[in-house]
Amino acid sequence: MRNMELREGIKDSIPIVLGYLPLGFAFGVLATEAGMNLLQATAMSILCFTGAGQYIAIGVMQAGGAVITAILANLLINQRYTLFATSMVPYLKKLPTRWTAFLSYGLTDETYAVAINRYRQQEASISYMAGLNLTSHLSWVGSTVLGAWLGSLISNTERFGLGFALPAMYTCLLVFMVNKKSDALVAVFSAFICLLSAYLLPDSMKNLSNIIIATLIGASLGMLIDERN
Amino acid sequence: MSATSVYLMIIGVSIVSLLPRILPIAMLSRFEFPEGLKKWLSFVAPAVLGALTALSIIAPQGSIDISTGNIYLWAFIPTFLVAIKSRSLFLTLVTGILTMALLYNYFGA
Repeated sequence: MRNMELREGIKDSIPIVLGYLPLGFAFGVLATEAGMNLLQATAMSILCFTGAGQYIAIGVMQAGGAVITAILANLLINQRYTLFATSMVPYLKKLPTRWTAFLSYGLTDETYAVAINRYRQQEASISYMAGLNLTSHLSWVGSTVLGAWLGSLISNTERFGLGFALPAMYTCLLVFMVNKKSDALVAVFSAFICLLSAYLLPDSMKNLSNIIIATLIGASLGMLIDERN
Repeated sequence: MSATSVYLMIIGVSIVSLLPRILPIAMLSRFEFPEGLKKWLSFVAPAVLGALTALSIIAPQGSIDISTGNIYLWAFIPTFLVAIKSRSLFLTLVTGILTMALLYNYFGA
């Protein structure tokens, strides 16, 4: 039973693994270019596991910025996880908190999208969480090592098409998720707000607060529509 | 940056990226949320998915690109159709990745 859930978690992480391959690889390449060694780049992927945040830290480093700048930028960019994690609480509360809290360090945009899609249909479990989050994290670390180590040998990973693994996964999960009209409206409206915010406030695109803005407004619209029905 | 600064940065970034994920689960799991909040939170998932999908396709390089030169927009069309028709994540992924590989290598940026 548990074994099956662990396996399902691992299986569901495959699209994420494919998507992380070029992204982690690129991080490894950029990190070494910015002056990190293999150990530092790997340590960062193990301890931080935040794609956008790690890219920003590297950018700060390369620009000769201060440590605190990189940390503050990350404080901002990672706030969306507060929202993601809070929305998971109702699904995880029956499980032992020490495990759910520990495994939540593997919560990313991608693992959130996959996990919440499952929990809306099936019970959450520690084994599933472990399979999904740990495999995803492992692939992030592994591809970082490859990038930092072999980066100079493979110059262009885009030609393999893996850059579309995550967009394709999001598209599919979105199609799976919107069974109700209210969900579909919320998704479309949130997408629009997210882009509008990026257009009107370019900084919100850099620190990803546009995702927070879109989610707050989108979910509130969901309440309004639902009230009427 | 000195080696010490790099490690300080890594530890600092680690703390600010892990706390927002762990704290809500660790602190809030013991409370029963009011129905209204639960309902609002149930809309967070479609809202996040909508935003992430839109960004990954319309702003693949970090800024909005609505032009015929954005191959992510083109790759989205067959991917979306296969997702709706097949309702299979595997087929959708294969379609998306193959389309992107073709577009990149033959019409690429």
